[in-house]
Amino acid sequence: MNKIIVYCVLLLFYLGLSKSLSPSEYGINYINSNEALSRLVPGAPVSVILTDIHSTGFLIKTYYHKYKIVYGFQSFEELIVRTSRNYSINNQSHLGLSIFRRYREDELEDFTPLPPGSIFIGDRNFGNWVQDNSGDKIWKFFRVYRQIPMYLGWKDFIPTLRDYQKIQLHKDQQKAYFGPNDEFGLEGSITKEAFPNYYERQNQDKINFKAFLKRYLKENFIK
Amino acid sequence: MNEIFDKLIIRILFTIFICIALVIYKYAHLIFYPSQKKQLLKKIYPSENYIDTLHIFSRLIGISLIFSTLEFNEYIGISISSFHFFIWSFIGLSFYLLSIWILESIVFYNFEYKDEVLKKRNPAYGLVSFANAICLALLIKTIFKESENSLVILLILWLFVLVLFGFGTKIFKYVSKLSFNSLMIQKNLGLGVAYSGFLFGNTIILMASFSHEHHDISSYMVQVILKVLLGVLVLPIFRYGITYIFQIQEEGISTTKDETLHLGHGIYFATTYITGALLSSIIIGQIHFGTIYPFF
Repeated sequence: MNKIIVYCVLLLFYLGLSKSLSPSEYGINYINSNEALSRLVPGAPVSVILTDIHSTGFLIKTYYHKYKIVYGFQSFEELIVRTSRNYSINNQSHLGLSIFRRYREDELEDFTPLPPGSIFIGDRNFGNWVQDNSGDKIWKFFRVYRQIPMYLGWKDFIPTLRDYQKIQLHKDQQKAYFGPNDEFGLEGSITKEAFPNYYERQNQDKINFKAFLKRYLKENFIK
Repeated sequence: MNEIFDKLIIRILFTIFICIALVIYKYAHLIFYPSQKKQLLKKIYPSENYIDTLHIFSRLIGISLIFSTLEFNEYIGISISSFHFFIWSFIGLSFYLLSIWILESIVFYNFEYKDEVLKKRNPAYGLVSFANAICLALLIKTIFKESENSLVILLILWLFVLVLFGFGTKIFKYVSKLSFNSLMIQKNLGLGVAYSGFLFGNTIILMASFSHEHHDISSYMVQVILKVLLGVLVLPIFRYGITYIFQIQEEGISTTKDETLHLGHGIYFATTYITGALLSSIIIGQIHFGTIYPFF
């Protein structure tokens, strides 16, 4: 009985020491809620786009998110964080969407999943509405901010006034919006093109055991 | 042909250098063990006292093990490489002899070399002393390799490994049913075999714990501690697994006075401990999880 107690104490000691001293515990933040994400992102105006979701581990999974933080008045940054399982699963369909934005320093924050860069559309500081050939009003960034659509991964997406109104409506209702033709989000065509890493990992060839065995025997024992 | 002869001469020269280093070892040994002055300075008759032979020559094997890590780089010049060899071999043998002196003071704190080896010819003492000398040589060889010619790191790792190994020697009473002191007095060979296996097992765990990449000394030492702890946790699982799989019965060994039974138990203990340690070294040193941070 004493040996079991000593063994359990040693096991706890090992786990405690590993937790506090392991390099994997350093340099990477953990989030389990939107508020925790908000604390990691300084400045305003800013839009946080979920660009990749990843999990590691065999039986006990560790979940990671990769974010692209696009600022109004400076270049973008990338952030990798560890997340809780629930937070990761809840946000899986929001890949490629802006899941957090802050309008002004220490003021309005919003966590409704919306197309990336929704914070900049309609903001007269960044651009204005112009009429295209078909008569629709489209959003155009000022020349000084012409890099922002590239940072946001818009590809050929050009927001119209109608899209802007829908974004505002979804924002007020706090409902996720995936673009006029669902171009954004997990199944969105623009997301697949702009942030392909997640999809490349998902589409990796499944192991054909017969072919693997054949190649393994050939490489290790026949050559 | 000239080049071949030249290289052969250089190799013979280096062989002589190593022999000179052994002379230095012989006299350095006397500094730490003045009681063996008579044995070392007069002619040695190995067949007279096999315990003493085991005791002396185990250290010779040990020092050779340490020398085997050293390298001659002839391309930097014979004189420089010989100087480098002498410096490091001197450091190696000083650390080695000091380690033996410290560890024997811990393990044999109730026993005297003169009494046990020269008077009583105790085979248990000889075996344990042999195992201790070889284990320390293996550990010093490992830290020599890990220190990468840095004397400061070597000193830190040497102190560190001595603490871990010294602490390890004290847990014998918790893992074995054999009583060290009483059986050592009785010249029990079973105890000698068991304790030797125990020392070799601990050495295997420590060597596996020390053998990994290091960039800064503090995080390296933290990793070593974690690996040693992991070894302490995994080793009993293997030992109990072996006992269970092979249906080994070890009742009554702590009460019996039959030396044959003790020898059998000692061999069983030593082999299972070494097997467990070797298998644990796979778990602690040879499972690679890839990168820590997610590069995605």
